[in-house]
Amino acid sequence: MQALKMAVLFFMMTIPFSSYAEKAATIEEMVKMYDSSSCKECHEEIYMQWEKSHHARPLMGVKGGIFLKGVLSSAFAPKDIKMATKKNFPCFKCHLPQALDAEDSVSAEIAQAVAAGDKAIVSKLQITCIVCHNTKAILHRLQDGKPEKGVLYGSKDISEHGDSSYAQVKKSVIMKESIFCGQCHGLGPNFDAENPYQCATLYGSYIHSYIPSGGAQSCQECHMKDGDHLIAPNWDDPGTARLLSDAISLDVETLGYEWLRAKGDLRPMIVVNTKITHKAGHRIPDG
Amino acid sequence: MEVTAKSEAGKEIFNKQVHYHPQATTCRDTKMLYGAQWKTQYIRDTSLQPRKAKKETIEIALPKGVRTADVTVDLFYELVNPSMKFPIHTVNRKVTLDR
Repeated sequence: MQALKMAVLFFMMTIPFSSYAEKAATIEEMVKMYDSSSCKECHEEIYMQWEKSHHARPLMGVKGGIFLKGVLSSAFAPKDIKMATKKNFPCFKCHLPQALDAEDSVSAEIAQAVAAGDKAIVSKLQITCIVCHNTKAILHRLQDGKPEKGVLYGSKDISEHGDSSYAQVKKSVIMKESIFCGQCHGLGPNFDAENPYQCATLYGSYIHSYIPSGGAQSCQECHMKDGDHLIAPNWDDPGTARLLSDAISLDVETLGYEWLRAKGDLRPMIVVNTKITHKAGHRIPDG
Repeated sequence: MEVTAKSEAGKEIFNKQVHYHPQATTCRDTKMLYGAQWKTQYIRDTSLQPRKAKKETIEIALPKGVRTADVTVDLFYELVNPSMKFPIHTVNRKVTLDR
């Protein structure tokens, strides 16, 4: 009986510590937990595409900037950056979901790195393979449960996946569906924080404009053709201009004539008619 | 999109920009602003909608003595600020009233 009491006491004492142990307390720990560099060994081409993508620098913005800096001067700004918490960074929901599973000390560390413009640290904070292929891979959690630790999710089941940390790949029912991307490429104002905020509304445009007008393609069919993980556009790549010119058409018609305003009052005039169309399944611009 | 017209002498006689994008405020005042941390609601949306053509008719009244103009229509994508441009299409037309 004494042994049983001791066992129960030990079990109760270890719960908080083991839970704590699963949460990253520093950026370094979090980066290590979500590190997907081992994926490169077998999926080199995909990994290299991802490395060039905005998913690989979700807090950096474009042209080497740190977009998150703006949050530190907004209504979400912490009074003391050393005391910043997840509540100060609603952007984490999509730009760094793993930070929501970490201790608040990670948020404070990120706040200090952002304030200091420390690109070396901020650039380590990425939407890695694990974020999409585990954290965000299950939406029907009442039916399918939460993503399992040590399991990756893809478009099909793979019973033997040659990775010691992720030995199995299970099929995610949403991986090829637009709703998968819609988790982050949003609907409209977010009301889950103490202040509303609004980032990308692309998925809202997709379901409320593109689909009602008869559109039938998924996000992945256009942005991930042949499994491309660059998921264009990449605003730091000059090739993006070519992508835009392929997707967007401009027709121009001109007419030169003399408009008769009143008797004897001919006014030389040029009329320019422009017509812009595009192939995207969402408004342009959006994100 | 920017439409410009120049006389044969190269002098700019017309310039107009049309901006296509959703526009948001904080809902606390009437100022438009960028930044997800501030934006709370679109108040106007002039963006290019899916599967819908965006058409404009632009009238250029030629100054006295000008009967021929070089018209340029530039379509570009502005990112972050007006100096960060991605060209999409440029169309040039010489338009004359003389036959």
